Amino acid sequence: MTNQANSPGSDQAWEELLQQLHKQPKAQPQPFFYARVHARLTAQAQPAGRWLPTWARRPAYVALLGLLVLVVSGDGIALHPAATSQYTNYPASLPASSLPR
Amino acid sequence: MASASLAIADADLLAQLQQGSEAAFCTLVTCYQQRVYSTAFSLLRSAEEAEDVAQEVFVEVYQTVARFRGDTALSTWLYRLATSRALQHRRRANAKKRFAYFTSLLGFHNQVLHEPPDHAHPLALLEGEQQLRLLLDRITRLPSQQQVAFTLRHEQDLSYEEIAAVLDTTVGAVESLLFRARQTLRKHLSPSARHD
Repeated sequence: MTNQANSPGSDQAWEELLQQLHKQPKAQPQPFFYARVHARLTAQAQPAGRWLPTWARRPAYVALLGLLVLVVSGDGIALHPAATSQYTNYPASLPASSLPR
Repeated sequence: MASASLAIADADLLAQLQQGSEAAFCTLVTCYQQRVYSTAFSLLRSAEEAEDVAQEVFVEVYQTVARFRGDTALSTWLYRLATSRALQHRRRANAKKRFAYFTSLLGFHNQVLHEPPDHAHPLALLEGEQQLRLLLDRITRLPSQQQVAFTLRHEQDLSYEEIAAVLDTTVGAVESLLFRARQTLRKHLSPSARHD
């Protein structure tokens, strides 16, 4: 164990610790800091596509939105021609009474 | 005398910045990058996050300097931006960490994200470098205002008046913040507190 005078509880040790903190080398940014700030500014200033919300600039969302528009507008039927009429699957030789009403 | 000439130089720089001079912006970044970066680093203790905050500060200065009325010194404005952005950054990081911890508890991810416990033996944390490490760790746990005041005083070497200007408060309030910060730190760094 250290003695009481060396523990941070004592004024002397506390002052020494603060001195140690103060003498620490100051943190420095990496070289070419200005170039990186400039690049960030330039990236933020680009107006292309800014009128669109972020989600609208993702291809997956655009494709999904296009599909949704197609389905809602009724073109979905054109995409599935097999489901046209319930009568087309019945042979012509069947009597009319056996056809569903 | 030196501070008066510095204020004139800052006023000139500010006038040029407000006219949109890129050369003036380059000068500003060169002059203040170390102070802004090291302030952010002192509050975040991460080189990557400090870099991000420092860049954010200068981008904000460039974008808003036209609206700056010059009612505080340029350095005060920059310190104010650096400290508030660093604290904001830390709040966001802490919120993310809490969310990640919560999802890890629910088993959404297999990795363990909570803070690992410090198994260092109390006897190993007694002197020199380790004592300083412990102090730095404790500084990050202080309430935000106390942490800013303590960092600006003991790491950035700002006067009480300058700290008061950055925090937009009185010198008396800064003295009180520093007193409470020192008291808390000393309490946590005393051997009896560590042995608990």
